[in-house]
Amino acid sequence: MCKAKILLLIITCCILTSCFKEEPLNAECDIEKAYVHVGNPETMFFNASDSMVSVPYTDSTVIFNVRKQADVSAMAPKFQLTAGATISPDNGSVHDFTKESVNYTVTSEDGKWHRSYMVSFNQVIKTINDTITYNFESYELETQKQKYYVWHNERDDGTLGNDWATGNSGFNLSRGSAKPDEYPTTPLTEGYEGSAVCLTTCDTGPFGAMVNKRLAAGNLFLGTFDLTSALKDAMKATLFGIQFDKKPIKITGYYKYAPGATFQDPKGNVVANRVDSAAIYAVLYRNHDADGNAVVLYGDNVKTSNLIVALADMEYVKPTDQWTPFEISFNYQSALDETLLENRGYSFTVVFSSSKEGDKFEGAIGSKLLIDKVKVICTEEK
Amino acid sequence: MSIMLLITHVSVWSKSFCSDVNIDARLGYSVGGTAPVGMPATIRKLNSYTLQPNFLIGADFTKPLDNHWGLLLGLQFENKGMETDAKVKNYHMQITRGGETLEGVFTGNVNTHVRQWMFTIPLQASYKICEIWGLRFGPYISYVVNHCFDGSAYDGYLRVGDPTGAKVELGSGDSERGTYDFSEHMRRVQYGLDLGVDWHSCHRFGAFADLSWGLNGIHHSNFKTIEQTLYPIYGTIGITYKFK
Repeated sequence: MCKAKILLLIITCCILTSCFKEEPLNAECDIEKAYVHVGNPETMFFNASDSMVSVPYTDSTVIFNVRKQADVSAMAPKFQLTAGATISPDNGSVHDFTKESVNYTVTSEDGKWHRSYMVSFNQVIKTINDTITYNFESYELETQKQKYYVWHNERDDGTLGNDWATGNSGFNLSRGSAKPDEYPTTPLTEGYEGSAVCLTTCDTGPFGAMVNKRLAAGNLFLGTFDLTSALKDAMKATLFGIQFDKKPIKITGYYKYAPGATFQDPKGNVVANRVDSAAIYAVLYRNHDADGNAVVLYGDNVKTSNLIVALADMEYVKPTDQWTPFEISFNYQSALDETLLENRGYSFTVVFSSSKEGDKFEGAIGSKLLIDKVKVICTEEK
Repeated sequence: MSIMLLITHVSVWSKSFCSDVNIDARLGYSVGGTAPVGMPATIRKLNSYTLQPNFLIGADFTKPLDNHWGLLLGLQFENKGMETDAKVKNYHMQITRGGETLEGVFTGNVNTHVRQWMFTIPLQASYKICEIWGLRFGPYISYVVNHCFDGSAYDGYLRVGDPTGAKVELGSGDSERGTYDFSEHMRRVQYGLDLGVDWHSCHRFGAFADLSWGLNGIHHSNFKTIEQTLYPIYGTIGITYKFK
């Protein structure tokens, strides 16, 4: 009996443990961070913290924002890669970035996977106009998978930027079969003037239900959407704000809004007598804390952080089926520091969402907010 | 008349055939797992293994053929369950739900829970070494009446599509992990080989130990979500009671 037991134990242990093979080599090949060491970071960068760039896993571009007069003819960017990966050209090799970006290829430790990155130094031009207009005419299908739309802002010099972000990539994760027009954030060709943006609160389907994220509000904001956090900590997926060098006074635009029929809580239960509401607001905040660390506001503190300087919140977005103008003034909680403004020490975001509580996965499926012709009106240059 | 004669004959024959058949009841408990034969390198470590209610109850009939050899036929009702928690690296997974598919490679922890209540018919050659010890070996066939295969991927990250795809972190909370349920892809009929050893005391009670090795996977062969075929491999210990 005892022998049999021992035999059984040995056999079981063998089956369960002895068969583990040697650890496979890493298959990932990402640039996680990029940084440059320069003698006087202040002359090259607006903030010393700009010398290091965190690269979202979905991005294939690495952009260092530098001052207009910065000499980028001999830069030696260094990269933090996923463990074991290698990069070509060499990590820390010197390149001329004045005319064009430099293409780097990262190869995984196991040699089987590659990723290409375009690294560039963007000489930031000071915002010229006192009114920044967003007409939402520049949009396209996301280039890699062509599954959903992305929007571009038109800069003063006519080039296109990537200042606007949406949660469409998160929706892609849960409803991979959806067509581009079935995503929460879509273009509407017949807007108030030219194209508008259509934000719809959508059902995330069985995968959404699996993780109690049953709906996705249509959203559009100045900032970045980081898919990496979308499932684990959705509030951390929305990185609000772009560096800004103007003092905004008010924000105007046109909208239409229709709340969806049934309001539901995160578990999908119907909440009787509750009507969904949209969100339209803008925030200006200091992008460095007291210790000089770079700060980004997320879904959970974009309206509450003590770094906020000014807030413009529409609060109640009255349902309407006509294009209706809106105008919201910024409420300044503290005075602006001109030097800080000059050095891009403030970040600015404008946020639109078809469901106010969409970040908590509450709202009414079908709520629809249309937005067009948004203007950020800033103080005149002295 | 001739029919009566035949019946009489058969009944006499069966009486004499059955006169020396041994009948044993078995009560056992199984430990083991449904596992790939040859662990893939993507499975790194077993974090935990939780014992399941893997009880076995059954009876078998042994017809002695000579002093040593015999033939055993039995019927058992048993559970081959398992709950494991394993660490994986670049583990290929594909989850399909309501027509939506999410595929990629996962690095992190995977919790797996398996339950398989089944009726098993073993057919074995038995060999009596001495009065006390005996060995058994032979095939079995099982019909699974109640099953589930579910679990979750947690505390890790998924690279969507392949290792260069979007990285999505999974946490450990209910709303942060990816759950799966592959129960509907499980087979009803399983077969395999069983090796057993019996110990008989001078009383009616005895003990046994068995190793059963499944030869077909627990999922249908067209089920490709889990790259490796999982075979039920279980060891059982228990007590026997000799009726006859």
